[in-house]
Amino acid sequence: MTPQPEPAPAAEAAAGVSLEEAALIRAARNGDQDAFERLVRLYDRSVLGLALNLLRSPEDAQEVYQETFLRVYKNLHLFREESNFHTWLYRIVSNVSVDYLRKRKLRREAAAETAEGERDRLEGVPEPRALGDPQRALLNRELAARLEGALDSLTPRERLVFELRHYQGLRLRAIGEMLGASEEAAKTCLFRATRKMRAALRDFI
Amino acid sequence: MNCETVQRDLPLFLYGELSLEEEQALQDHVEACAACRRALEGERLLHAALEARALEPSPELLAACRRRLSLSLQAAERPAGRMARTAAWLGIRAGWRALLARTAAAAALVALGFFGARWSRGPSGLPAAEGPAESQAARIRFLEPDPAGRVRIALEEVRRQVITGRPEEDRIQRLLLAASREAADPGLRVESLELLRGGAGQPAVRRALLEALEHDPNPGVRLKALEALRPFAAQAEVRQALARVLLADANPGLRVQAIDLLTQQGGREAFIGVLQELLNREENSYVRLRCRRALEELNASVGTF
Repeated sequence: MTPQPEPAPAAEAAAGVSLEEAALIRAARNGDQDAFERLVRLYDRSVLGLALNLLRSPEDAQEVYQETFLRVYKNLHLFREESNFHTWLYRIVSNVSVDYLRKRKLRREAAAETAEGERDRLEGVPEPRALGDPQRALLNRELAARLEGALDSLTPRERLVFELRHYQGLRLRAIGEMLGASEEAAKTCLFRATRKMRAALRDFI
Repeated sequence: MNCETVQRDLPLFLYGELSLEEEQALQDHVEACAACRRALEGERLLHAALEARALEPSPELLAACRRRLSLSLQAAERPAGRMARTAAWLGIRAGWRALLARTAAAAALVALGFFGARWSRGPSGLPAAEGPAESQAARIRFLEPDPAGRVRIALEEVRRQVITGRPEEDRIQRLLLAASREAADPGLRVESLELLRGGAGQPAVRRALLEALEHDPNPGVRLKALEALRPFAAQAEVRQALARVLLADANPGLRVQAIDLLTQQGGREAFIGVLQELLNREENSYVRLRCRRALEELNASVGTF
């Protein structure tokens, strides 16, 4: 199924609760922890979803969630009220995730060098979402492994742009803004990512 | 548009990132070019495979993340905010700030459940009482210097109350029952139901489980309720609720679980009509298959209605 070019759920939420969001941000800046936790709950499901899909590990996703919201908490006084909180938050989770992907890549390379080998990429990954999803039946283990391999071969930045566009449904312009880059740069990243995936899955598609 | 540009732009086309003119040009080219049609088909297959690998965070994972964050926030230093800046402007030293916070906390009305914060207005004076400073956050509502060189500060505050006990204790169970119905966070509702599981033999707990099974908007919570009710699947009220889930729940996973539970117990013949009704209206192919199998095992008709 082709993702529709609709705003991400978090963005929709932001439009609907902007007044509540502004009040929560102000209260949280004044040290109100409950207000901060309510602010977190407006967006944390999509932040966790992004981290989980990027890192494919609930434990790693939990680390990214924790690090992201602690950074938000500590830096909330730097957030400018005229800015978009969703964009600011996603910039932070993007940075944390990319750092995490980089570190993990380095750890894996080190593990491979010490002949520990790489664990099965599918091991420990939770089951895909819909029970009885017919698409899942089509996706055999080999295709899944090839797909994971292709995604793993992307640079952390390509991986992030692809994730934000494909799974989070964000526009390339918004992605560029989040990453402090142009829409063209985000587009180039997306082209590179899809080219690599097509090449890796040539036998299947 | 040539083949190279078209094939490069296929992802943008599928994501709706092309302008109307570019989209039209791409479609015109694809209609006339077999190689690009194949490439578009391949791109669609790639998208289908990517969709199938999407992961959704479970309510349990989300709840664990929130719990851990909450604990870290309590331990973390407060961000530099208006409170700190105002205190600095007032020239209040750190020790005095702590004392102000403590005294105000002790004097405040506490109206907090563990699953949801309630605001309460503090007094405008500063009574001399002691209380925990770390567990409450305060907001200055107004400042009023007086001629004697002192200042009156009105604080609005919220305080978190922590209650500890075993799930079977009466007051803990009452809070868990309330959380299972009222908590806004589905992760908390799941956790409450999990903790209530041990008491599912009690009517109040079973009523809460049945209510969650049939009426909770979150499928993860409904599934947790169904799991907790599994040992009671032979009871009439549970079986009737399962039959309603079978016909009314929007989630195919839950409908499948309901079929399993209803057909594993004695007296399952009473539900043949429900299963036939389900088979008649069910759109999900897997649920239909399971329903058909269940009817065949019961030697019931699957195709005469």
